[in-house]
Amino acid sequence: MKNSTLIKGTAAIAVGAALLLGGGGSLANWNAAASATPGNIVAGDLNVATAAGVWTDRTGATIDIATYRVVPGDMLTYTQALTVTLVGDKMAASVVLANVPANTFTADNLVISPMKLTNTAGDVTANTVLKPVSGSATQTVTASTVFEFKSTTTGRSDVAKNYDLGNVGYTLTQLTQTGLS
Amino acid sequence: MRIKRSLQAAALVAAAVLLGLLTVQGSYALWNATVVATPGTVSSASFDMAMTAVNSGQTTNMTLANGTAATLTLSPAGTLGPGTPVYGGVQVTNNTNAGGQFNTVITAGQPSITNVSGGTLASYISVTAKRATSTTECSNSVGYLAIGAGGLESPTVAKNGSTIFCFQASLSSAAPSSVKGQAVNITLPLTARQCGVSGGC
Repeated sequence: MKNSTLIKGTAAIAVGAALLLGGGGSLANWNAAASATPGNIVAGDLNVATAAGVWTDRTGATIDIATYRVVPGDMLTYTQALTVTLVGDKMAASVVLANVPANTFTADNLVISPMKLTNTAGDVTANTVLKPVSGSATQTVTASTVFEFKSTTTGRSDVAKNYDLGNVGYTLTQLTQTGLS
Repeated sequence: MRIKRSLQAAALVAAAVLLGLLTVQGSYALWNATVVATPGTVSSASFDMAMTAVNSGQTTNMTLANGTAATLTLSPAGTLGPGTPVYGGVQVTNNTNAGGQFNTVITAGQPSITNVSGGTLASYISVTAKRATSTTECSNSVGYLAIGAGGLESPTVAKNGSTIFCFQASLSSAAPSSVKGQAVNITLPLTARQCGVSGGC
């Protein structure tokens, strides 16, 4: 009788254990998985590059400034296209000139317009804010200056003189915008 | 007390340095790019007018290197006598190195005749002039005229072009025999000017 009781107890324990094992799957709660693509963070761009400058005479003909010799009555115009690259949602920049040397001819004999920058909207000054344009990463800013050797020059004034325009620098600087620190 | 003040001063300096660094850092935080261009050198032309004596071939620039006016001896051909004028001439060439147009006009001014060694020959000498296209024309007495008050102007002399002035000295038929062997100096100023900058020459 004792053996029977022992057997029954053992069987009951075995059944209970089996029930517990069988219900193992039911221990998990609901769960779900999904993947996300936060995307790439892409930096913008800021750059300035120059095309070759061009000198023209009063008639608009292109001249080679290395060999051309001016005389009273000449008027030369220098133009140089700057390719300004501006990319970025909060990108803004200004471009300025640097290192424009002083004239070395007799001042009374010349009319020299200070080198200036322009774009399709007009003059570009240090206070002009350039922003990316729609549909293109680049935009053009034109640098120009006019050198006029006045026809009122007398005698042999300023014969065989030189005016070296040196190394003119164009600096493009990003400007702080709302949302930038 | 002294230690406390030192600490306060050190803290103040540290704060100032930190603020300065932060400020500098901020100004360099944004992008910038620089490109350098070399527009070149604007050079003015020379104003070189070469003069060549027709008879001797002697040549000089109208303006010397030191900036003063040159003198060219024309060395008239022949011996002056009544009815036998002598002539000379000068070819003026525009030797500028101008890049563009550089037209000039040369003007021969009024002659100045002075006696040499106290003679009286000058008052019996007349000088006439003409423009020519060839130096051989100078020995032809046709076409010589007195130089007017405004001088005798050349045609337009373009870059690398030239013009010729011929001069003739004549002795008056009224000259006395006492002027034989006497000599005079004849000075003729030549002036070159640029023209055609605004309008014609």
